[in-house]
Amino acid sequence: MEVMFGALQDQIQKPWDRLAARARWMRRAKLAAMYGFLIAVSAPVLLPYFWMVTVAFSSKTGTVDTLILWRAMAILLPFVFGCWIWSTIGTTARQMFFGFAAITAVAVAAFVILVLPDLHLGNFIFIGERNFGDIVRETRTGSKKGEVSGGIDFPSVWLAFANSLYLAGGQTIIVAVIASLAGYYLSRFEFAGRAAMLRSLLVLHAFPVLTLIVPLFLILNFVGLLDQLLGVMLVLVGFELPFAIFIMKGFFDAVPWEIEMSALTDGASRRQTFVRVVLPQVTNGLIAISVFSFIRGWEEYIFVFTFLIDNVNWTMSLYMFFVRDDILGIDFGLVSAVGVFYLAPSLVLYLVAQKYLAQMTIGGVKG
Amino acid sequence: MARIEFDRIRKTWGDVVAVDALTLTIDDGEFVSLLGPSGCGKSTTLLMLAGIYAPTEGNLRFDGQVVNDVEARDRNVGIVFQSYALYPHMSVRENILFPLRFKKVAESEARRRVEEVAKLVHVDELMGRRPGQLSGGQQQRVALARALVKEPQLLLLDEPLSNLDATLRMTMRAEIKALQAKLGVTTILVTHDQVEATTMADRIVCMRAGRIEQVGTPDDLYLRPTSLFVAGFIGAPPINLLPGEAADGKLVINGFALTCEGSVAGDVTLGIRPESVYFADAGIRATVDQIEPMGRETLYRVNCPLGSITVLEGGSTFHRRIGDVAMLRFDLGDTLVFDRRTERLVKGAGAQLSD
Ligand SMILES: Nc1ncnc2c1ncn2[C@@H]1O[C@H](COP(=O)(O)OP(=O)(O)OP(=O)(O)O)[C@@H](O)[C@H]1O
Ligand SMILES: [Mg+2]
Repeated sequence: MEVMFGALQDQIQKPWDRLAARARWMRRAKLAAMYGFLIAVSAPVLLPYFWMVTVAFSSKTGTVDTLILWRAMAILLPFVFGCWIWSTIGTTARQMFFGFAAITAVAVAAFVILVLPDLHLGNFIFIGERNFGDIVRETRTGSKKGEVSGGIDFPSVWLAFANSLYLAGGQTIIVAVIASLAGYYLSRFEFAGRAAMLRSLLVLHAFPVLTLIVPLFLILNFVGLLDQLLGVMLVLVGFELPFAIFIMKGFFDAVPWEIEMSALTDGASRRQTFVRVVLPQVTNGLIAISVFSFIRGWEEYIFVFTFLIDNVNWTMSLYMFFVRDDILGIDFGLVSAVGVFYLAPSLVLYLVAQKYLAQMTIGGVKG
Repeated sequence: MARIEFDRIRKTWGDVVAVDALTLTIDDGEFVSLLGPSGCGKSTTLLMLAGIYAPTEGNLRFDGQVVNDVEARDRNVGIVFQSYALYPHMSVRENILFPLRFKKVAESEARRRVEEVAKLVHVDELMGRRPGQLSGGQQQRVALARALVKEPQLLLLDEPLSNLDATLRMTMRAEIKALQAKLGVTTILVTHDQVEATTMADRIVCMRAGRIEQVGTPDDLYLRPTSLFVAGFIGAPPINLLPGEAADGKLVINGFALTCEGSVAGDVTLGIRPESVYFADAGIRATVDQIEPMGRETLYRVNCPLGSITVLEGGSTFHRRIGDVAMLRFDLGDTLVFDRRTERLVKGAGAQLSD
């Protein structure tokens, strides 16, 4: 009996080892393929940003020096490739850690030697200097101060920054407040035309907003909001709201009726119930629509370009546009630097909020 | 504590009649169970008491005062939902404290009451946790604590035990019953589990399609059901219901004639509880079809001229096997006769074997 059993086990053991080895190998191959695919599709998106940042910190007025770009790439690509390879080779957490640490150390050393000496903050001159256009032009042509002018009259970049903040922030607050109230109402109350309203919310979102630019111009002119940030803000709110309401309705749908009934019997008023019991259940949705609204306002270009004229009303996007218009032929390092300055806040916002954004699905089921 | 009166309450949603012609008085401190199948209007009745729904017609009185238009928050009613409905973003302590935030209770007094009620339902160890970190039974206790902390005049329990496993359900059944007796709060328990209703409540209100079918003690409903519906709904294993025809003192079921007492005629249904049928030396000839040992008792499904009926016999050892032939008897006093057209009990009627 004993002997027979042992023999049987031997027989089973061999193919099982082989099967397990094959499964392990397959798992690694799949992982490698997946990472490779992700790197391949994200490269075209991320590389321009990488270049923008590199150019912003390295390029010098009047010189066209692309060598630094290639040097930076020569560090980045082996680094990414190395990480990719190691992620499929390493097995234990310890191996992973030391492998990545080694690769990173090499990359940092190469960076310090090959790239760091060429980096400088000169392109960020616009942060403190309103007349950077003239200065840049003088450097370029070697002419004296006052000889070359006639460029665009730029406001302080901080004014543009504040305008953008006001536009995006104000729009976000209005959208968040209206969308949560309307979403709640749509989710909870039965009223004539409710279904039609829900359908139209999505249809509204489908229209290209640009088609309305002429009537909107006229309307803003009539109500006296042309060339005012508030006017653009209201227009943006109008376009952002339907989708935001729809998202919020989905989140409210997921909140059980019972907790509201419970709060009411516990002595809360309807408003207290909404604020203290229902709203806390939909904070993820609120964060999601707020971030999207803010970014939408931050990057807004067409409407500010059409409806804002005076340079005290410029937003960052307009500022960026005119910098490009005025300086690009002379100094692309400066244009890139403005780009980095413009990009930074939305990047920070995304990084902070990504945990919540990842949970947003249409229908609002929370993970 | 309050005395509750329903006075011809009706609740409709468009064409759907959820509750109709509900008239009922519940005494101060009484423990009443609303029993009925799914969709019969139990939750609707409860939510009308809580003030979430307003009755379409009729008056609802607490201690003689009509409360139809009194808002939920002013009624001081504690409610435990089937889903517990704890506030997910608050800790257990905050959950229990929540009802007191809307009352004029000093902070220190509120804290003291929360601790006290938490001890009462044994959740004082869990105060810092979120509802998501509790088991079903613990959530249920927290919901109970939250309902009790405001010292309600009326406690409503909507299927509070249906999400618990069998053992825990039995424990909670006893605990809730003891707690109710201790606090003396008027309590209404909604359930579709007849064991829950009969074990916990002083009085059972059996509902069907929005109407009251019968009100009475557990014994009333089990031994003296007034309708076919109640007879069939109460009791596990269920009562044997045998359709037949009565005329001239005879009740004919499946061509088999029984002697019949009382003023019975026409289409009737004979009801006999499984434990009222017993094996004897002489009687109806039956063949054993199925045997289900249930621990203290054994359930036989047998085939006889009356049809297929169940017989419950005390004792865990069974003396018969499938295919065995046995004789069955039952007594006149243990039978119920229902008029099949009205579905009502025919009072004083019964049937027995003709000798
Ligand atoms: N808000 C509502 N709108 C429309 N109809 C409703 C509403 N609430 C309940 N009903 C209907 O009223 C009837 C009674 O519902 P109720 O919830 O009171 O049943 P129940 O006895 O509690 O059932 P269950 O045991 O399944 O919980 C059902 O037919 C239901 O469809
Ligand atoms: Mg219900």
